[in-house]
Amino acid sequence: METVSVNSTAFRHSHALPSARALTLGLAVTLFVLFCVLPVVYMFVVSLTDAAGSFTLNNYRQLLTEPRQRGLMVTSLILGGGAAIFATVLGAPLGLLFARARLPAKRLLRIALIVPLVVPPYIMALAWVLLTGPVGLFARVARRDFLSDWTYSLTGAVVVLGLAFYPLSMLATEAAARRVDARLEESALLAANPRRVLWRITLPLIGPTVAAAGLIVFVLALSEFGVPALLRVRVFTPEVFTAFAAFYDFGAGVALCAPLLVVALIVSLAIKFIIGERLLVTTRSLQLGLPLTFRRPFQTAILIGIAVVFCVSTLLPLAALLFETTGINRIASAVSRSGHAIANSLWLAFVGATLIVALAVVLGYGRARARSRVRMFFDPTLILLFAVPSTVVGIGIIGLWNRDGVMGQVYSSQWIIVVAYIARFAPVAALMLAAGIRQISTSSEHAAEVAGASWTRTFGGIMLPQLRTSLVATWVVSFVFCFAELGATILVAPPGESTLPVRVYTLIANTPSSEVASLALMQVGITLVPLLLLTVFLPKKGARKPA
Amino acid sequence: MSGAFLRLLEVTKRFDKRSVIERASLELREGQAVALLGPSGCGKTTLLRLIAGLETPEDGEIWLAGQKVAAKGQNTVPPRGRNIGFVFQDLALWPHLTVAGNLDFVLRSQGWEKRTRKDRIEEVLRMVHLFPHAHKYPSQLSGGEQQRVAIARALVARSQLLLLDEPLSNLDSDLKTILLEELSVLQRRLKLTTLYVTHDKLEAATFSDSVVKMKNGRIDESHLTLM
Repeated sequence: METVSVNSTAFRHSHALPSARALTLGLAVTLFVLFCVLPVVYMFVVSLTDAAGSFTLNNYRQLLTEPRQRGLMVTSLILGGGAAIFATVLGAPLGLLFARARLPAKRLLRIALIVPLVVPPYIMALAWVLLTGPVGLFARVARRDFLSDWTYSLTGAVVVLGLAFYPLSMLATEAAARRVDARLEESALLAANPRRVLWRITLPLIGPTVAAAGLIVFVLALSEFGVPALLRVRVFTPEVFTAFAAFYDFGAGVALCAPLLVVALIVSLAIKFIIGERLLVTTRSLQLGLPLTFRRPFQTAILIGIAVVFCVSTLLPLAALLFETTGINRIASAVSRSGHAIANSLWLAFVGATLIVALAVVLGYGRARARSRVRMFFDPTLILLFAVPSTVVGIGIIGLWNRDGVMGQVYSSQWIIVVAYIARFAPVAALMLAAGIRQISTSSEHAAEVAGASWTRTFGGIMLPQLRTSLVATWVVSFVFCFAELGATILVAPPGESTLPVRVYTLIANTPSSEVASLALMQVGITLVPLLLLTVFLPKKGARKPA
Repeated sequence: MSGAFLRLLEVTKRFDKRSVIERASLELREGQAVALLGPSGCGKTTLLRLIAGLETPEDGEIWLAGQKVAAKGQNTVPPRGRNIGFVFQDLALWPHLTVAGNLDFVLRSQGWEKRTRKDRIEEVLRMVHLFPHAHKYPSQLSGGEQQRVAIARALVARSQLLLLDEPLSNLDSDLKTILLEELSVLQRRLKLTTLYVTHDKLEAATFSDSVVKMKNGRIDESHLTLM
């Protein structure tokens, strides 16, 4: 009896103390709530409060009653919806081709078509202004301005955002098409011709992912600040910035944020409902599915189509920036004048990406190994936080961190920019790493546990080494996102602490276009370097042939 | 030609220069049930896929009901033209279609009229005791019910040849026994020419008239056992 008593006491003690796993996860969740959740919750709470601090639905009522709010909402929805449709129409067929068609230099073509995704959308908008604006290249060559009405319009913004985000739809479609179990198509081929199999089996199976990617583009376009601001399209995000930064009207800023928060919430729930657990599935089918084969003239037409998409989405805008810089000397002098902003951007993006990955790997682990109830809550939260517009996050951070004490000290330093980066991009990084962790069998953890390893040793020695490719990819994506961040940074950056995107944006109005183009080109160049390194050094994943 | 319904003549299949099937020859008479027995990775599944037209043989010929369907380097008749029912090891049920939808897809693809399709689906679903589940999705069914859907889908278009690729490997032994018996009864009742791939000797013996052994991509003709 005594032995049993001693053992059971020891057992109770071992479970009374929180384990290293629980402590690590608890710390990560606390930081996640502080950096990512609280600014958004703060905005929600403030949007439901009047000047006297009482509960009110006025901000939401205004959305239905005020013509200005209604107008902004309609324009915002057209912008988001138009960009989503355009990006899907362009990206989904390309994704299907990359997954199933035999194309020459496929890897190179894919890299070329992904470029617009890593170039900040506002740089794309700037390039199109330099091309088709009133004093743009086309106007100078034709000696008349025939395109600027189109450029500075809702249609122009839809096209620019569609061209910026179509790679997202392309990559999602390609991944979905590669995930389709080849047996499903083969069993259909026993009865039907390939075209019918494509329409009735393949496309319905990848449809939900294509729709979810469309919704993600919708919400990214809706949250985009730089493009509508540059192209003078009146939607919520620039209006939020103007209300807050130009008129210092916190209440008006919050009122304008309210509809964006509602749309972000609806869309994040819709995405979770449409694709569910497939959000984290990255495995490919063991066998290549139904191949798309084309006769020679069609194959040539497809390659010409891909070349046209590449030219319009990437080559033409970058060529416009290059042409506008008027030479290497100009680039060098622009860089020397903005050296501080460039160095600041590089350093802050490096620190931001590293901290994001450190936080996201623990959150991703928690998500990947969580029970279904936690997952049901956690996924929409992560999507919602990523979907909240940058300007809304920026105002939330200001409201939350602009106070006395430690938070105030952080707020008045450049670290507040890193806080903004974490708030914006840790959720998506956590989703990426959760997908990677889901690929690692739980039995490899259990084997280490049985062998006597502590959780920290198992996590550091077993999990992280297996996760290194995902860690590198997530770090690069986070770095690219941080380096290009504009909407939140422009609001939270303390006086004198500028980043490259903020400097480019503020120079556009009153500086020669050659200098702005030089800095924009510099930003594109810095962004492309990690992408190229990633695509060159990441191991290739190939479909295996049947045994 | 001999009176064989299915005939493989010296069929060879390679993947990346590695020979998976090596000069395999096999004959099945009409209505015969043959089990293809062999260890994992010996090429059994690839042989079924060659017969179905899902792979192309590098060498040799495949004849089905007196018609040459594949010869050296090409499939002369595509999979949909061979009128074959195939039950895959992982079943490959289309998850976005209901049970009836899975069967309807096959019949519509084969050009059946709407009214006859409905009757035929009902007939086959009753045959496999699944009629009450016609409007459910595969994910709403148990493992055994999913197995029956796969069998119904393979039978629905009155296939002339039934290929079964370890169809019961994922089931528990009790359910396996029941379904094996049901399959056997169906095969005899419909007089279906059937090739049943398995690595389980007992399954092979229970189901088939004869057992053919396969090893390292070769059919071991010395082990052809007539029951």
